[in-house]
Amino acid sequence: MKQMFLFNYWLSLPSRNALQTLSLFVTSVCLSFSSLHAADLEPIAHWGFEQEESTQLESHGGVHRDIPGPRPPAYPDFTQDNLAVRLDGKGAHFTFADPGINSRFDFTNGDEITLEAWVKIDEINPEDNVYVIGKGRTGNPGFSVNNQNWALRLRKEAGLIRVNFLFSSLSSSPATIPEKSNWHRWTSDQGFQLGKEWHHIAISYRFGEPESLVGVIDGVQVTGHWDLGGPTRNAPVVDDDAIWIGSALGGTASNSFRGELDEISIYRAALPASTLQARYRGPNLKLSTEALTEQMPELGILSTDSVLMSFHEGMPSHARWLNEDEKLPPETLRWHTKTFLLDRLPQQYDSWGIRDDWKGPVLVRMAADITLAPGKNRFLMRVRGLTRLWVDGQVIARGVPQIGSQHGFEPITPLALSPKPGLRIAEHRQQEVIREFSSSSGGKTRVVLETLVGGQAFRTDPGETCVAIETEDGNSFVLLQPGHASLHLTDRTVQTVLAEQELELQSFDDQRRRSAAESQSSYWNQRHEFARDWARQHPSPATPPQHSQGNPIDAFLEAKIQSALAASSQTSLHEAQAFHEQVLPILRDQCFRCHGAKSQGGFNLSSQESALAGGDSGLAGINPGHPHDSEIMRRIRSDSPEERMPPGGSGLSSEQVAILDKWINSGATWPAIPVTKETVRTSPPLSDEAFLRRVFLDTVGVIPNEAEVREFLQDTSPDKRTRLIDQCLADVRWADHWTSYWMDVLAENPTLLNASLNTTGPFRWFIYESLLDNKPIDRFVTELILLRGSTYEGGSAGFGVAADNDAPFATKGQIIASAFLGIELQCARCHDSPYHSTKQRDLYALAAMLEKKPVVVPSKNRVPDAFFEQQQRESLIRLTLKPGEPVLPIWPFAEATGCADDGSLVRLMQQQDDSREKLAALITSPCNQRFSEVIVNRVWRRLIGTGIVEPPHDWEGHDPSHPELLKWLAQDLITHNYDIKRLTRLILTSQLYQREAVTSSPSSSPETQFFVAPNRRRMSGEQLVDSLFVAVGLPMEVEEMTFAPEAGFQSKLRLTLGVPDRAWKFASLANERDRPSLSLPRARAISDILEAFGWDGARQNPRTDRETDPNVLQPGILQNSDAAIQLTRASLHSEMAEEAVIAASPKQLLESLFLRLLSRYPTEQEYALLAPVLSEGFEDRLLSEMNSTLLTPPQPLPVVTWSNHLQPGSTSIVLEIERRTRDGLPPDPRLRTTWREAYEDVIWSVMNLSEFVWIP
Amino acid sequence: MHRRDFLRTASIAAAATSSSYSLSAWGNQLLKGSAEQVISIWLGGGMAAVDTFDPKRLGDPDKRIPGSYYPSIDTSVPGVRLCEHLKRMAPLMDRCTAVRSVNHDVIDEHASATNFMHTGHHISGTVVYPSIGSVISHERGALQDDAPPYVLIGYPNVTRGPGFLGARHGYLYLTDTSRGPSGLSRHPSISPQRHSRREEIFASLRQSHSTRKKDALRDYEDAIELSLKLSGPAFNRSFNLVEEPGNLRQNYGGEFGQRCLLARRLVERGVRFVEVSHNLNFLNGTGWDTHNDGILQQHALIQELDSAVSSLIIDLEEKRLLDKTLIMITTEFGRPPEFDAGGGRGHQGKAFTCVLAGGGLNHQGAYGETDEIGKTIIGSPVSVADFFATIHAALGIDYSKYLYDGDRPIPVTEGGKPIAALFS
Repeated sequence: MKQMFLFNYWLSLPSRNALQTLSLFVTSVCLSFSSLHAADLEPIAHWGFEQEESTQLESHGGVHRDIPGPRPPAYPDFTQDNLAVRLDGKGAHFTFADPGINSRFDFTNGDEITLEAWVKIDEINPEDNVYVIGKGRTGNPGFSVNNQNWALRLRKEAGLIRVNFLFSSLSSSPATIPEKSNWHRWTSDQGFQLGKEWHHIAISYRFGEPESLVGVIDGVQVTGHWDLGGPTRNAPVVDDDAIWIGSALGGTASNSFRGELDEISIYRAALPASTLQARYRGPNLKLSTEALTEQMPELGILSTDSVLMSFHEGMPSHARWLNEDEKLPPETLRWHTKTFLLDRLPQQYDSWGIRDDWKGPVLVRMAADITLAPGKNRFLMRVRGLTRLWVDGQVIARGVPQIGSQHGFEPITPLALSPKPGLRIAEHRQQEVIREFSSSSGGKTRVVLETLVGGQAFRTDPGETCVAIETEDGNSFVLLQPGHASLHLTDRTVQTVLAEQELELQSFDDQRRRSAAESQSSYWNQRHEFARDWARQHPSPATPPQHSQGNPIDAFLEAKIQSALAASSQTSLHEAQAFHEQVLPILRDQCFRCHGAKSQGGFNLSSQESALAGGDSGLAGINPGHPHDSEIMRRIRSDSPEERMPPGGSGLSSEQVAILDKWINSGATWPAIPVTKETVRTSPPLSDEAFLRRVFLDTVGVIPNEAEVREFLQDTSPDKRTRLIDQCLADVRWADHWTSYWMDVLAENPTLLNASLNTTGPFRWFIYESLLDNKPIDRFVTELILLRGSTYEGGSAGFGVAADNDAPFATKGQIIASAFLGIELQCARCHDSPYHSTKQRDLYALAAMLEKKPVVVPSKNRVPDAFFEQQQRESLIRLTLKPGEPVLPIWPFAEATGCADDGSLVRLMQQQDDSREKLAALITSPCNQRFSEVIVNRVWRRLIGTGIVEPPHDWEGHDPSHPELLKWLAQDLITHNYDIKRLTRLILTSQLYQREAVTSSPSSSPETQFFVAPNRRRMSGEQLVDSLFVAVGLPMEVEEMTFAPEAGFQSKLRLTLGVPDRAWKFASLANERDRPSLSLPRARAISDILEAFGWDGARQNPRTDRETDPNVLQPGILQNSDAAIQLTRASLHSEMAEEAVIAASPKQLLESLFLRLLSRYPTEQEYALLAPVLSEGFEDRLLSEMNSTLLTPPQPLPVVTWSNHLQPGSTSIVLEIERRTRDGLPPDPRLRTTWREAYEDVIWSVMNLSEFVWIP
Repeated sequence: MHRRDFLRTASIAAAATSSSYSLSAWGNQLLKGSAEQVISIWLGGGMAAVDTFDPKRLGDPDKRIPGSYYPSIDTSVPGVRLCEHLKRMAPLMDRCTAVRSVNHDVIDEHASATNFMHTGHHISGTVVYPSIGSVISHERGALQDDAPPYVLIGYPNVTRGPGFLGARHGYLYLTDTSRGPSGLSRHPSISPQRHSRREEIFASLRQSHSTRKKDALRDYEDAIELSLKLSGPAFNRSFNLVEEPGNLRQNYGGEFGQRCLLARRLVERGVRFVEVSHNLNFLNGTGWDTHNDGILQQHALIQELDSAVSSLIIDLEEKRLLDKTLIMITTEFGRPPEFDAGGGRGHQGKAFTCVLAGGGLNHQGAYGETDEIGKTIIGSPVSVADFFATIHAALGIDYSKYLYDGDRPIPVTEGGKPIAALFS
């Protein structure tokens, strides 16, 4: 009977050197004095995966047969033509049906089993268990999912592939996740490393006797341990489920074997270890089981006043120290700080100074020589992963390896207990270990902490890692440091130390980033030299004679005004007005989109000359004096949908037709625009107060504080405005202000949860640091396009991502074109642009350049043919690209930009054959004047309110209002290293910028644009939020932007954006699952304000303009939201409360309040209005300390993360945080309630004035 | 145009920017219903049709036999059965249509599918589409000047947003039924007396300012006026559920029921579109995303839905609002009849159920048919575009028209055809 189940019974196989093996086999059996019968030596099943093998095995999925198996000479027991099988690891498997009840393959208590196989592994993900062979747990219908009778598996732990045996003792199960106690899993302590070798693995076992388990790898018997439910004497599950090779559970990837398999056997006997050991003859690679002897690292002489922090990236495993044959990776960097405390690693940068990933796991060492008291010293250590703490050469404390995080159902980690009353507790999932060390004589003792941070499955984030030592009185712990340790482990002290350390770390990061960026400076110097050369050959327009009066900007503006006045005087005002106010608007709104921006049908209506000339039909568009003989009027009046203009819609109104008739009748004249002295009158200069506030908001993004206002207003020197401008341009907050802008324009859209809806990497950090370093704009754009550094931790590579998008590079091409070239390609995604000259091919050519290969338009990005069939007239849109036609990486915009892909580029490129770099060079080359003009226009627009070209992202058919000024400014940019700050300074120092703002109609045409004043602008959401916090002097204090504070996932899955201290650092809190446990209530309170004022964290598309229309929610949110109430409260520790406590008089308090909130002194009227409110009870406003209630801070709460968010407790915790957020900080108890409330009502009233939210 | 605020201009803007698409694809006559308002109940996570509105033979998670998790019961519509936990809905099915053949091909990712089930469009890479609430708000505006057109009772979300239609067609949201929307309800720490002092001080300060004369600020000043009005007692009274009779509140049930009750009050107040999210994961951890253990308490979720929606239907009917209020129950995808390794269910987009009720439609109890285990559609498939077209048609909105993202025409639905049987 048994033979029925045998396939390629191993003795009959040609693949194996049978005789030799047999003799070994027999010998070993004899030596073992086993009581086995001869028949038991034969496997009940064996699979050799040869060509002629029986096909009773059914294969499923990616199974590749006939690949070479282990062969001599490396494996002398095999034949030269031995074959094996390869499985794809995505669920590929073989199945073999169980013959039925009580079959040979059913094992229960008392039965013996041996399983063996030869394996060659491609990869096993950490913590995954991949099946070699198993019975049950197939996921087949009709069987419980927990019916594992037996299984031989492999598992990677701590970098080693280990043998793993599994069965379940649960006979039937409810529909729940199985109780761990029913699972019995034995894993070897030793294992082999990934490589190209074949390995032999085997286990033998007698069910019911957990101690009987024998494991063998490559001829070596290995030790191991039972986990999950542990060892058991209970019987395994037995049923008639099938045997699977290579996978389980229906073929889940995490259970699927990825690599090659050969010679699998099942025995109904426990073969002795010696037999199994003898099976292996091969390269005899030593199992990498031997850990390197532990020794405190030799770190030489250490500084006496700082702690050395050193970092080695690329450790082999997060779960173990080095083995004998491994070397410590070289030190990546080192840094000195005050104490044994670290809450983040220094930034890692690539060779250009762009943020890069750490290669985890990273070995972090902290070391110093510490003065210990003689006798017992107690050390406290907090770490996240595998750690050892050395004192005087001995390991006194250890941390265990970090474990990954679950998706939702992880139990809530209870809050850690405080090691002593009043001390800071350990962070969520941070291990705390307290150990004693006895020092015989005391004195200088070396302490070294070694801890592993990050790893393949984790973010490289140490959490709050620290070492502290108990104080002599035993009441406290102090952070360990050389010299006198006095920093107690209290919340306040640790937070202060961390804040100081963060500043030092930032400057350490800055310095390393800038020094890495130096590697590119000679290249960029050459490029800027080239740009100046180019500029010399292409001189800019001369500045008008008015230049001598001051800023060239004002001179260009004045010149246009003068010439417009002169031209206007040629025609009667009445005639000019009639044309420009009645006729031209109709033409512009109804016709120019096709016959102005483009010349559809060869006809262009944007000047008198071209209108008279007509188009392809040969008919004159306009016959002056004869409206009924004018083709345009015939088409406008036509009843035929094929002919009528404008196409679609209901056509022109009869009034509009009458206006055009009248105009043509009276000669169709085209007079210059009517300009009077009145229309070109400039607005008055700005007051100092208004100027100060405006400059602050436009450069550093927040209003000035009280001291800054006082200082500037008191300053009487004539150059104080210029000095202020220079001071603001040098302020690091410049980078904060501009980062927001580029995040919008470049559609930066990181997600805290799953990637979807065009999410990108967080390349905000690349933008921010580029601005911090005032990177020339051509260099910024180049480095952006080259997609360098970290994808998910802040390099420009993050720009390359667009989740859920079938043509991400087309999206990037569209963004780049609109951001830097003023070319709008939105329509070209699916068809040629109807109102532009751009084609679908142009967009995909950009995509191809970025992708460095020809691309094919995905079928969904193509208007279906059915669309065209439904049209009643010739469609406005066309498709010139054939379906499936590859689009080559060829620069499509030579004509639009004036910059062709010719030999001149050689000087601008470092890698000549890289089409992505070529794209960057073509965009940023000085000969691409479009680029420098687009940049100038963007900066101009952000400061003045209206662009010289409108809109800034779409130039086609839109002329500049001041072409010469634009060219001049662009040239100035090119010849001054593309320095945006210089450009900004030019604009800020102009008279134009320093005039009172006016409301200007956005539709004003280029001809009528004179820039007599800047536009009135409302603060952006970011300016508003940041200014509110500056004004009232409260820290922002919101949650960290992450759902994985424990760093238990890689950044690709769950990233962190840090704790925002400026509004741009927020991200979309979209909670698509609508789960309370996935909300961040404090952050949401702030983002509600941001969103009401036009900010949107989900930047699915690039955006130059935000909505600026006022809506009811804007004042509403400032009046009523939780955040607004908090901001206007004289709360504990707020500066508003402090001001009230120290104020000498109501008047003085009001003055401070106005300076803080509105950057100006109150008017007499305002004093008169508000002083009485504050005066009432002013003298008695302070409570004696006895009377002021003692406030106890709220109980800390356990941490809610993605990993535990499905636990009901998580919802309750977040709802409690919501409640606390709504309540806000308590009022300052030093102030009497009645007076305080009146004071707060005054603050509230001033803050809600529209003056606060409008930039003066 | 004097932009008073988003409340007033919506319908004007709509008229100015839309033009009709060729009708040929739809036949020559547009279907038009008479509903005025919508209460949209969103079942986040993915409701299993076989366990609710499209019951099949019983399955067995232990033996991995596909099928329903619960037995089914008869309803007031002959031949239409529901799961036993919808026993209060069962007698009301003549006022409802369970559309059992909704389907889409969006990937199994919640955010993507949620986006599709709110916008009716696949993610394009270039257009941010408006949610159906925003489209309806855009097309129909608010019913009353001092009521917002679109309110979301749930957490703020991208997929419920206005897309290219702009912020004024966005939602006001709230997550706590005891308070009004964030920004338009007063903070509990500010007493009415205190608030009136604030308003007094604020008013006199504003008077002393010359800003009212300045053009650009005038609109903002108007918005201030309106926000003061809306955050005042009149509008915020809608949120005072205590005004409702105790037994009615009790019938509606827990937090979700109270949300539905609030939705009715908002409809009375003149809100055009209210989305009520039902995914508070207190009951079973996962909400409707019933993988693994999540299925164990699924019945509690279904019962909660049952009591809330049945009460809503009866309540609207008693207040003579049911014919003008369309209730829609949607979800991002369904779940397969098979059980997963943990005994729960995975995702299934190719066949699932959404429900319509009220709104003056000719209800059928059920529409569309799936096979014997609910795995594939065997009759009258309804695409998401069709389903959305049905909703637009019920509200008298031209579902064949285009909206404009700048120059770019965007169809209201991707060629959707309403379910004609509901309009006969």
